[in-house]
Amino acid sequence: MSGFDHAAVQRAAEGRRLRLPRGPHRGKLGEVRAASVGSSMELHDFRSYHPGDDLRHLDWNAVARTGELVLRVRQDEVSPRIEVLLDTSASMAVSEAKAARARELAGWLCVLARQTGLEPVLVLVGGAPRQSSGPNLLPTLATVALDGKASFSSALTRAPALRPCGLRLVVSDFLFEGEPSVVVDRLARGTSGLALVQVLDAEDVEPSGGSGARLTDAEDGTHLERLLTPDLLALYAERFTAHVGLWLAAAKRVRGSLLQVVATRSLGQLAREELAALVEVAGAGAP
Amino acid sequence: MTFGAPWGLLALLALPVLVAAYFLRRKQPPRVVSALFLWRTPDLKAEAGPRFERFSRERSLLLESLAVLFATLFLADVHCGQRTQRQHVVVVVDGGLSMRAKVDGSSAAERVKTAVAALARDEHAGVMTIIESGPRPTMLAGPQLEVDRALAALEAWSPAQPAHDVTAALVMAKGSTSSTGQRVFFFTDGPLPEATTVPAEVQARSVGRVADNVALLSAQRHDEGGAATVTVRVGNFSERSREVPVTFETRGDASHLERVTLEPGATAVVRAGFKTTTPVTVSLPDDALTEDGQVTLLPSPLALVKVGFLEGLDAAAKSAVERFVAIAPSVQEATDAQLTFGPVGSTARVTLGATGATHGFVGPFFSLKGHPVFDDVQLGGVVWTAGDNQPGRPLLSMGQTVLVSETDEGVLHFNLDVAKSNVQRTVAWPVLLGNVLRLARASTPGVPRRQLMLGEDVALVTTPDAKWVLRGPGGRERPVLGVGAVTLPPLPEPGRWVLEKNGTAVDELLVLPLDPRESDLRTRGPWQVDATAAPSLASLAGGAPRAWWPVLVMLALVLADFWLTARARRPV
Repeated sequence: MSGFDHAAVQRAAEGRRLRLPRGPHRGKLGEVRAASVGSSMELHDFRSYHPGDDLRHLDWNAVARTGELVLRVRQDEVSPRIEVLLDTSASMAVSEAKAARARELAGWLCVLARQTGLEPVLVLVGGAPRQSSGPNLLPTLATVALDGKASFSSALTRAPALRPCGLRLVVSDFLFEGEPSVVVDRLARGTSGLALVQVLDAEDVEPSGGSGARLTDAEDGTHLERLLTPDLLALYAERFTAHVGLWLAAAKRVRGSLLQVVATRSLGQLAREELAALVEVAGAGAP
Repeated sequence: MTFGAPWGLLALLALPVLVAAYFLRRKQPPRVVSALFLWRTPDLKAEAGPRFERFSRERSLLLESLAVLFATLFLADVHCGQRTQRQHVVVVVDGGLSMRAKVDGSSAAERVKTAVAALARDEHAGVMTIIESGPRPTMLAGPQLEVDRALAALEAWSPAQPAHDVTAALVMAKGSTSSTGQRVFFFTDGPLPEATTVPAEVQARSVGRVADNVALLSAQRHDEGGAATVTVRVGNFSERSREVPVTFETRGDASHLERVTLEPGATAVVRAGFKTTTPVTVSLPDDALTEDGQVTLLPSPLALVKVGFLEGLDAAAKSAVERFVAIAPSVQEATDAQLTFGPVGSTARVTLGATGATHGFVGPFFSLKGHPVFDDVQLGGVVWTAGDNQPGRPLLSMGQTVLVSETDEGVLHFNLDVAKSNVQRTVAWPVLLGNVLRLARASTPGVPRRQLMLGEDVALVTTPDAKWVLRGPGGRERPVLGVGAVTLPPLPEPGRWVLEKNGTAVDELLVLPLDPRESDLRTRGPWQVDATAAPSLASLAGGAPRAWWPVLVMLALVLADFWLTARARRPV
């Protein structure tokens, strides 16, 4: 499958790492603090001893000072699971630019995750649900077909339950019917951070007018015949803006973010500008 | 299902054009979009959903195709069910008087009625057009009248036309057919004249029978001084010699019988006089055609003409006119005269005299040909002394001198010095004045001739500012249009006709059912001539009126299509 520029992905990820959310993470033992308590040396809290607690975690100094059994609670050091969800429905391939940018963005996010010391898992949602991780991840992205006949929303309901993870990144155009808050709630469940990356074709944002056209839906094949008058285009723009606003509001409600990119811009440009909020330059530290 | 106009099926050729246009229209530039729901109008989605839009164009094609189909059905004059099996049958019946001749208990007209009813059954007639032949063909039933009503109209039919050419009726019937080549059925009782042209579509059949007949060929009545003289001509149309009793009857008087012996084909004149002013009935013994064996003649006295003389009329001229008035029948001298004689320059209807220098003329005289004043007037040996020309249209002239002239108002000027002429002493004088009297009598409103033969033109005199109507037997009405001396075409029915002025009877006339050509039944007989043209397909179903329901369905489909396409084009 063409449209995946591996070199461009590597260039765009060079010197960058994912900006992780401040909240606690879940994942394998690693370098990132987890939401669960564990055996990390970093003190997390104190509490009274309850039968069954590990006696090794008693703070004997506190016992000596207070005469009460005080337990030292420490936080685990985890390596958070990163899920990158890519919408593989046919609407993601209405143009070569859109398909290429979607693949590159998913690959870019995976590379960034690795550079951040995390283990990314690629979840393909659209056709048959697939997952990929490890060294097969980028080759999978290069060959995945964006031809799913179901919308991202309906495919998500058929997909296996999403596992709890530290960060969930979703690459889709989010152009399907359905209640955005329901979809976003499902995506935000079991994760510390959610970022929605909306990839749009130029025609999605600002369709060209002209005479009549037979408009065919990329996924279900239904069609409409319309005269693309300025009035109709204005109406489309209005409804498009309202639709995006719904997704934006839904993302904010779960403390997530929605980043909109247009496929006509290169991945490098997107990494520097539209998607800058997702990354931090290596060595610069967290803002 | 049958078609009255199969050529209308050619309209189906519009279907391929429509389908081609549909596929051309489908070639609008396709565009794959990510979010079709953003383009869809909410109302459409709510009402019909995506499937509605998906098939809107196909539905439009379906509706338009059906509209074409129903338009084709209309153009092809489609008929469904049993009604379609019925035909339009066009029939011409001979309206001649001889059709009434009864032989072996039934007349030809009755046999025609039976034959037409059978024809309607055999041909599965749904509607019929029945035309009666005559000097003027008339439509007895139709055009395209329901069979029952058409046969009922034929049942009331009673032929009484004079001998005539049936070509006009056949041409009229041919024009009444539903399609070219449709068969026309013609029923008569005798042979057609050789000069008659029968169209190839006509199937002719004679139901006549040979019969002997003795008939009155003509009848006249002359009334004068309370005495009536009746003259009839009797003809023997049989193969043997006949002694025929001719009966004359008057109202309130004893009948008078005359016997004549007639050889086959011979005729004889019988005359009888009566002291009566009532109608006189002349009758022969009943035979095959009773109608031509009995006539009733109305009194026909000459109309009284009142004559007057104006002051200043030359004595010689007045004397010459008075001598004529004294001997002319039904003429009376009176002060309230309708015919006045006066000197030149007077207001008389006829001026008599010469002014200025007079000159005598012995001929040749030039008269206006055909003018009734000079009917039968012989001017040979006449010395006509005239003066200066009188105004008006010249009727008689000699060189530059106008001897008789007539103004537009009908005033006659006789440029004649009676004292110096010999006109009043020649035979031309009473004839000339007789013609003047006849003109005056003809200007009297009414009927100049009260006994008319069948098929004879009707002469009438009417006045302006009144509605004149001829009311026939059975209340049949015929308006009289025109003022003055009017000649009407033959009346359609024998019998007594009353002339009414503004609803009041003024005069009457009698159309006698006499026509020698119709009375001769010796050549009648059955025969049949089949149509030479094959019946056309269209004639099989052309009888029923064109069905309009396909048009209504087509309009409904067009409206539905308009509604569908209008919705599809509406952007929001």
